[in-house]
Amino acid sequence: MHPFSVLAIGIFISGYITARWDLVTRLYELAIFAWEYGVVARAAQGFALLTTIFFGIFVPVALVAQKETKLVFLHENSYGGEDPFKLGAGDRLRARQHDGLMRVFWPTDVPKSDRPGVVVGWRNSNLDVFVVAILDDTDPRNVEFHLKAGTLFRNSPYPPAHFYELCGHTSMHVLGVSNVVDPTTADPSWVCARSNPTLQVPIITCPKASSVQIILYDRPQPQGMQYISLNPIALALGDQNGEEGVKSEDQESAEETQERKAKEAKRKLVEKLKLHTITKRIPSARDKALPKIVNQVNWSFELEKTLQKNVGRLGPRPKRSLSVSERVVESAATMRNFVHMQLLDLFAAYVFPIIQKTFIFFLLGHRILAEMLLAVLEFRIKPGSAALKDISATAQQIEIRLQQFCYWPMQYVTLRKRNTNWASITTSHPDYIRFYNSLWLVANDVIIGLALGSYIIEHADWVAEQVNDILRKYTVEALQSSISWLMGWPAGLKLNAELATFLGDLFLWVIDYWSNCVYMLSPSLPKIVWFVGFSSFAGASMPIALVSDFVSALTVHIYSFYLASARIYHWQLTILVSLFHLFRGKKHNVLRNRIDSCDYDLDQLLVGTILFTVLFFLLPTVVVFYLNFAVARMIIIALKAVFDTLLSCLNHFPLFALMLRVKDPRRLPGGIRFELRDTQNNLNSDPNSPDIPRGTPTSVIYFKSIPLPFEVMFQQYFQMAQRIRKHYFSPRVLLCLVTGKFVPPIDRRNLYSLQYSMLPARRATVGEMWRAVSVELSQTRRKSAQRPFNPSMQNWGKRAGNGRARAYH
Amino acid sequence: MLTTLPHLRIRRPSPTTAEFTVTTLPPPTLSLRILRTILIVFRLLLLLSICTVLSSRWLQSPFAQPLDTYPLWPRTWASTDTLWYIAGCLHRSRLGIALGGLAARIPLPLLVPGAATLCYGIALRVHSSESLLVLRGLGVQTSESPRTYLASAATRFIPTEKIQDIFVNEAFRGFEVRYYLVVVVEGEEDVVVVFPGLLPRRHIVEKVWREARECLYEKAPRGGIE
Repeated sequence: MHPFSVLAIGIFISGYITARWDLVTRLYELAIFAWEYGVVARAAQGFALLTTIFFGIFVPVALVAQKETKLVFLHENSYGGEDPFKLGAGDRLRARQHDGLMRVFWPTDVPKSDRPGVVVGWRNSNLDVFVVAILDDTDPRNVEFHLKAGTLFRNSPYPPAHFYELCGHTSMHVLGVSNVVDPTTADPSWVCARSNPTLQVPIITCPKASSVQIILYDRPQPQGMQYISLNPIALALGDQNGEEGVKSEDQESAEETQERKAKEAKRKLVEKLKLHTITKRIPSARDKALPKIVNQVNWSFELEKTLQKNVGRLGPRPKRSLSVSERVVESAATMRNFVHMQLLDLFAAYVFPIIQKTFIFFLLGHRILAEMLLAVLEFRIKPGSAALKDISATAQQIEIRLQQFCYWPMQYVTLRKRNTNWASITTSHPDYIRFYNSLWLVANDVIIGLALGSYIIEHADWVAEQVNDILRKYTVEALQSSISWLMGWPAGLKLNAELATFLGDLFLWVIDYWSNCVYMLSPSLPKIVWFVGFSSFAGASMPIALVSDFVSALTVHIYSFYLASARIYHWQLTILVSLFHLFRGKKHNVLRNRIDSCDYDLDQLLVGTILFTVLFFLLPTVVVFYLNFAVARMIIIALKAVFDTLLSCLNHFPLFALMLRVKDPRRLPGGIRFELRDTQNNLNSDPNSPDIPRGTPTSVIYFKSIPLPFEVMFQQYFQMAQRIRKHYFSPRVLLCLVTGKFVPPIDRRNLYSLQYSMLPARRATVGEMWRAVSVELSQTRRKSAQRPFNPSMQNWGKRAGNGRARAYH
Repeated sequence: MLTTLPHLRIRRPSPTTAEFTVTTLPPPTLSLRILRTILIVFRLLLLLSICTVLSSRWLQSPFAQPLDTYPLWPRTWASTDTLWYIAGCLHRSRLGIALGGLAARIPLPLLVPGAATLCYGIALRVHSSESLLVLRGLGVQTSESPRTYLASAATRFIPTEKIQDIFVNEAFRGFEVRYYLVVVVEGEEDVVVVFPGLLPRRHIVEKVWREARECLYEKAPRGGIE
């Protein structure tokens, strides 16, 4: 206590005693009275009794309780669990994790200086720390206070609640100190790091840790949209599964049913595997921290920037006044900014809103038109029947383009929101890639289409001639010659001449009629070619889709021949089978669906056998005709598959993602991996550190992001190929071909799940789009209104008073 | 000679981190080093001769320009002319002429796939190694060395939270029974086989299993069931 206050209190007491002397004498009398009647002795007895009770009962109970709580903590291993800052009681108990493993995440780009500093970051649990930054030349208590109060983030451009939430803490923590002279002064749970320019990896010690994992990580650059993630980045939109789940049973094809059943069986096996595990391990806080740590890594760069920028608030730091030339430069820059801002404001106030309004009205008009067209394309006569887009490739192409045009404004609005928040928020990066991928693909498509279209239009006559030639040669003449070949005992096969002539004449007659139609078409062919060429200004995919549709239209006769011959062949085969049963004295019981014995009459048997023989000998003739048309049909299907592949490449090739993968693989994270580094050399080769405690073995691990593998990028193409393969190369299809049953074409909806994987299942309505766009509009307007008139002028005014504030803000 | 049976190497800088590598790479002796150098030289020579054959085939085609325009040693050392000059020398040499004759005799549909197959063969690795990295508090990571020198190692990281169990399983493979280490991942249909390509013998698998469990999981607090 200060001597003056002691003196003052002394004077007060002596003054009081002299003024109230009678009170003092009364007190003295009271004391003597109490002593005479044994009050003191009784009080002493009571005190002794209470002390015995305290030491005998309360202290042991408290000790036991403390020990038990410690045991519970250790048992659940949840010390410092989800919210370490809420477990203040646990902190006071100082229970150490019994394995004593200290895990330190350390950024690789921390400057390797040998100045003392404070290590700042996140404390995920007691011995699990994540280092964000090292603030040089600061005091740990001061830093702790400022971090708790949040002063270091007060002037940040966006609210700090975002990263607090994503990183799972309410404030950053002081994790330790670096390069201190006397490590014993530090808190025992603090990390003591020692680094100098010669050391590759800092030496980390902690009094409470028995072993240390140093995990070095590279900070992803959020400005460059780099980030890491545990799961591969999704290039396709994820909401397709919901749509598939709705699909009813009857729409499901045979392969899908098979797939579903296989999945069921596998799921049961997985359930059984779960029973195999005897002990269920409760994951510790350290195990559960991984998703949080991934977020912390993603935020690390921006947080470090902000901290280093604001470190000047922590206390006085060396400053330097500006030189004359610097002042001249600053004033010139201010003048330039002023003029610049004035011009910009004029533009923003008068010209920009007009442009924006016109553009938005144009967009909305376009959108309404698109909506009407889409309604036509998607119109189904009754639910479940085919719409126009399911039949025609052109209609589908138009539909995809329209859907994309409808989706772009929405995507753009979502992407714009990215600019109004921290750059480290990674949720919109796949959207960004999708948006620019589809933009780029459309641009590419148009460029290729321009080249193709101008070529076709310039050489329309020649192209028309070629097309006409091809049509005549392949759809008419080749068919005619093959049929006439089949009519005249092909390849030495002794076919039934009469039947072959009959069938051949029938087909030839239809072909003659069809060829007349095709010849009628030929004068208008240049116009059609010109139209196809013109359509390619809308993208090279348009003429391809048109050609695909024309191919289907111009080969209708082959399709119908195939159908007819397959029908005949199938009937004949069925009759043969039933007659064969008759021949054996059996018959097919339809009611029980089995083969029964049957007593036939002699005439029945005779007629049946004769018919069987006749039909059997006629079979090869029918077979060759059937095969001829089936092969033609297969060729057309293959041709259309080529067109479809081209279309899907033009519409959905992951071009942007591929380019990104080459340019900057860290923008396409495909997971994480760790690399164990050799530490022995590192420790032994450093002669300046003889006092490393040999008891803390350290392992150095390098934490890396895996770039997305190419297989994952093309996974949807693989899926589509798998589907086509399963549909067309299955034994079922072969059986259909052999027995003459109709081979069902693959469902277009299945085939084009790829095409739609870049588009949302439900497109936004016109009203929603209007709202989104107008909200965006009002936001930009507000921002332009709020824009400070001249930010550098403020600094200019402040400078005279407070030089430090300018220098460090 | 260049490879051995799969054997185990353990790196364990601290008790909570361990890397188990099963590799067919024998310990580095002098003879092994000499053999490997010879192999590398042989591969390079093979690559060079394949390139020579292909380029001479190209020169024989009507589209190519003749290499005779580079008869002299170019003035500057580091330029593309040097490369052309060397290529020209190579083609004019006796070996080059012989290879050119070879290229002329083999039909093109056979030559190109053959050259591609040989190039793939050159890029193949001699040794393979597969590893399991166990990090307490983080998880386990399996990695396999790629088949060729051109690809990078394939890794798969499984966080501790997702690890349901690690155990040794047995399976028939041909006419033998193999024991293999399996990581069961929660919520996944397929188990992850550790050392899938090499499938080391049982004593190695058992040792890795014991140490990996010890390394991955901390001991139970009261020494009861682990």
